[in-house]
Amino acid sequence: MSADVTKVDQTPGDQAPDGGTGGGHDTSTQGPPVGGAPARAGGIAGFLGGPLGRNAGLVVALVLLIIVGIITAGDRFASPENALTILRLGSVIGVVSVGMTFVICGGGIDLSVGAIVALSSVWATTVATQTLAADFHWIVMVFAALAVGGVCGLVNGVLIAYGRIAPFIATLAMLAAARGLAEIIAKRRTQIIRDRDFITFFGGSVLGIPVLVILFAIVAVVGWILLNRTTFGRRTLAIGGNPEAARLAGIRVQRQTMYLYILLGIACGIAAVMIMARTTTGTSTHGTLYELDAIAAVVIGGTLLSGGRGTVVGTVLGVLIFTTLTNVFTLNNLDTSTQAVAKGAIIVAAVLLQQRVSRTRST
Amino acid sequence: MTGVVKRFPGVVALGGVDLDVQRGEVHCLLGQNGAGKSTLIKVLAGVHEPNEGTIEWEGEQVTLSHPQAAMDLGVATMYQELDLVEGLSVAENIFLGHEQTRFGFSQRSAARREAAALLARLGHSEISPAAEVGTLSAASCQIVSMARALSLDAKLIIMDEPSAVLDAGEVSQLFRVIREITDQGVAVIYISHRLEEIREIGDRVTVLKDGRTVTTGLDAKTTPTQELIRHMTGRSIEYVFPPKPEVPAGEPLLRVEGLGRTGEFSGVSFDVHPGEVVGLAGLVGSGRSEVVETIFGARKATTGTVTVDGRLVRPGSVPAAVSAGIGLCPEERKSQALVLGASLASNISLASLARFSRAGLLDRDGENTSAEELLESLDVRPRGIHRESRTLSGGNQQKVVLARWLLRGCRVLLLDEPTRGVDVGARSEIYALIRRLTDDGVAVVVVSSEIPEVLGLSNRVLVLADRTVRHEGLADELDEHAVLDIILKGDAA
Amino acid sequence: MSASLPLTTKRIAFAAITLSAALVAAGCTSNEPATTPAASTQQPAGNAGSSNDAPGKKVVIGFSGPAADHGWLAAINNSALEEAKKHSDVELKAAEGTNDASLQISQIETFINDKVDAIVLLPTDGAALTEVATKAMQAGIPVINVDREFSSPFAARSTILGDNYGMGVSAGTYACQVVKEKNLTNPVIAEIAGIDALPLTQDRSKGFADALKACNQTVDNRVAAEFTVESGEKQASNLLQAAPKIDVLWNHDDDQGVGVMAALDQANRHEMAFIGGAGSANAMRWIQEGKMAATVIYPPTQAADGIKLARLIAQNKGLSDLVQVEVPKRIVLNAPVVTKDNVEQYLPLGFES
Repeated sequence: MSADVTKVDQTPGDQAPDGGTGGGHDTSTQGPPVGGAPARAGGIAGFLGGPLGRNAGLVVALVLLIIVGIITAGDRFASPENALTILRLGSVIGVVSVGMTFVICGGGIDLSVGAIVALSSVWATTVATQTLAADFHWIVMVFAALAVGGVCGLVNGVLIAYGRIAPFIATLAMLAAARGLAEIIAKRRTQIIRDRDFITFFGGSVLGIPVLVILFAIVAVVGWILLNRTTFGRRTLAIGGNPEAARLAGIRVQRQTMYLYILLGIACGIAAVMIMARTTTGTSTHGTLYELDAIAAVVIGGTLLSGGRGTVVGTVLGVLIFTTLTNVFTLNNLDTSTQAVAKGAIIVAAVLLQQRVSRTRST
Repeated sequence: MTGVVKRFPGVVALGGVDLDVQRGEVHCLLGQNGAGKSTLIKVLAGVHEPNEGTIEWEGEQVTLSHPQAAMDLGVATMYQELDLVEGLSVAENIFLGHEQTRFGFSQRSAARREAAALLARLGHSEISPAAEVGTLSAASCQIVSMARALSLDAKLIIMDEPSAVLDAGEVSQLFRVIREITDQGVAVIYISHRLEEIREIGDRVTVLKDGRTVTTGLDAKTTPTQELIRHMTGRSIEYVFPPKPEVPAGEPLLRVEGLGRTGEFSGVSFDVHPGEVVGLAGLVGSGRSEVVETIFGARKATTGTVTVDGRLVRPGSVPAAVSAGIGLCPEERKSQALVLGASLASNISLASLARFSRAGLLDRDGENTSAEELLESLDVRPRGIHRESRTLSGGNQQKVVLARWLLRGCRVLLLDEPTRGVDVGARSEIYALIRRLTDDGVAVVVVSSEIPEVLGLSNRVLVLADRTVRHEGLADELDEHAVLDIILKGDAA
Repeated sequence: MSASLPLTTKRIAFAAITLSAALVAAGCTSNEPATTPAASTQQPAGNAGSSNDAPGKKVVIGFSGPAADHGWLAAINNSALEEAKKHSDVELKAAEGTNDASLQISQIETFINDKVDAIVLLPTDGAALTEVATKAMQAGIPVINVDREFSSPFAARSTILGDNYGMGVSAGTYACQVVKEKNLTNPVIAEIAGIDALPLTQDRSKGFADALKACNQTVDNRVAAEFTVESGEKQASNLLQAAPKIDVLWNHDDDQGVGVMAALDQANRHEMAFIGGAGSANAMRWIQEGKMAATVIYPPTQAADGIKLARLIAQNKGLSDLVQVEVPKRIVLNAPVVTKDNVEQYLPLGFES
């Protein structure tokens, strides 16, 4: 054996065996190996650790957009009415995105949200449903939409969790099937809602705030609590972060996965009610490309596409950024092609900013 | 090669290996699990670069900085875990990375012809070069892997346990090919746990232990078995095992009867009393991990029963096992036990979420307090409950997994390789912790590749080989030597 | 009724061919031909009595159109099917509607193999279907090109088109009329277009801008929706914020107009003269209610006309109201404006979106 062989009986830089009492380490034991991250330093890290800090990149992006809006469009942008318009426009996709946050946190994806919104809106506005609603109460239409959304989510969930079909494939199938079914039911017609009370209720305002915005706020708050403050949320993050570890800790991974898709299906049902109120119609073209808008909002919001980590606040900010962007562009009379380019740039910029911030936070 | 050293963060996998291989010889590598064989292979294949030491090739010093460099020299490696691309055809796999091309187009028919010739040379002309690898059996994959090595015109072929998935007929076929290529001057490094194979095919033997060469150049045919085993055993690091208290007689807490799973293991029966540690010893692939995972319900038993405290545990259900009071610290900590991106607190509470549920809302204060207490009592460092679990060292991660089951209050704890990737100091702590648990009346099952660890921790030991229990006895009546003997020879010496 | 509107020079130039289109579609002139030719164009009831309608040689006509995922397209398909049913000598082979150009190409290839007598084709994309249409023509099968034009003149025996540019001109001319009548000095004129990438949208917008130029006006605010209710609502909501006061608003498409109207209702903004496009039944009802000023018709009967033309060509007949013995090569349909004054006439023709 050559002379240059190092002495290897002990791991370099690590602690010596100390008789198993378990107490004998000094703080240097966190030394070399895998555990490289030092403790958080001071006040800045404390700030960055808060919900605002975690989303600092998004907040900065949104503030920049608002500044651009004020400079270029002045009072037309900076008016309460415009602010409410932005919120109202963001509310429908916002509800879907909050639901999508859960599915993505749980390690899945759902491409069928737009189609589920369309199917729910169509089902809730058929002649039969509307007749029933006229005889009883418009709440029938709401329940119909929620039920259809929930059942679609259940089908997705069962196929993915128990049928072991990849989420991408299962929901792609649902995307095609649900929109097709919506077209069949509606006979490709736009179904006008006759019930004025329904329109008045959901189109109205409470204390000056549109009901749709209030609904969005409720969904966001409930979503935040569910994800951050309940065992349901904790299980969601666990199955998304490491499904095998979750399974071996006794969590019913399949059941939890199914719940997530049902949850998102119901969110789609709520969104369908909202879009029915906004457009006074139910049609198979509702919710077109919602899957992309929702996934984009969730991902720029900072939720990991691979699952295990997610933020409802980030998702809401992501939705607001996109909605504000469209608004600022329209106020400045810019065309849709330019908007599309800016949307792409914003996605990249927000994600880069977000990465920078999280890197500063963890190193 | 001389004086090769390979360090990984926190561990030294190779601490000085000397090995010389001559043209046309079959050089066998022997050593226990973790002796450094796999790392050595990877150094030779150019996957890892050594931190120290030199490698000479035909008299000249070389650096193998990447796998292509090794391939260019003429080193071909057949890994234990087959590295074939399932979606590609046999021929495509054989020539992957060195496709024959003309004007940038791959020559499919030529490749298929040559693949067929190589397979025929290996005596397996029944494997179609056009078949998709994913559809082949494990043995056929091994043949394809071998054909791939031959196609490289290698001067040195490294075979890591090539016989593990082959039956007797296929092994003799393999040996015929090995003899054929060594006659042509090709050198072979052959790794196997089966001594009789080494006797049959090998020329010289090198024994590794703790990442070092213990002895090299032994004659494969004549060196007595006892001497080989002596070289493999007696590891230099002596751990301090806490003393074993007497196990109180009485009813067993965990009872496993006739447990089996088709194709994995069969006929496993044993009891564990409260406060007792039962060890499962055996080589990788002997079915150890499968046994504990089946007890835990992560795999569904095809035969046999598991009872805890006299009550039958529903097979194939982890939640049922957990509510019966069983906990498992799985073999692969990072992929099976921890949610690496989540905090220590949420990793610890993962199996006990119901306890912290107040009408569905999470009692975060309670969760944090419990986690805090456990981290302190297990001396996990660094201690912050909000720290991501990925930032901890192996030993501390293992303590977090243990803390999960302590919090759950489980009465039967299954530990699969509890000290793998754990540094020396933390090992002792984990040993002490296991003792603390048994003092509280917990029944523990320990699985380990390291025989001294199994012997040092357990009251009783089961030796597994060839997917069934070969021996059961008191740990104090066995030594490393005897266990290895049972494993290698298939019977108690 | 086109006579009731001020005509631009351009539109007068269209007049002759437009008239012929009206006659073709009507199939006869016996039903009040002198007073309301354009209206009768749209009235299927008015096509009885021509000798051309007498059953002739049995002909097989292949029909292929886009997927009916939009009210106007659904109306196009339905009217074609209904028209075919009226003729006992027509056997219609209708392919499933599709938005996939390659699928439509294979549908046409099937028609060629089946040796149909004529093909009526509303292409998903005119340029993409030109090649296969030319092949059909070379095989001796006359192709009638509907709505979206081929890129080669050899690909079709006859072409019948709605007039997207003319639609914009009609809307713009009407807008000018509003400006003049209300005596607005600096009016805010806004436009909600359809899918911006489509040539038809660009044609409509160009026609609108050109007509506005005639009265020295320009489009102040423009957004583009996607022919869906939802996109109409969304774009309109933003537009209403962008322009606190609007005098004239032209929305290209009455399908997305349902969403635009929802946004107007929501914001309670009905100060403008709201002009629609395409001519859906909804739009006509709004005109009756006074919520909409006018809508510009883009006839959903083109494919039905295409069927009639195909039948005549296959039977070697001409248009009975033309001296010429053959069916014309190219027919461009009028884009009339429906207002409160003539909505009763058009209401039966409005398609349900």
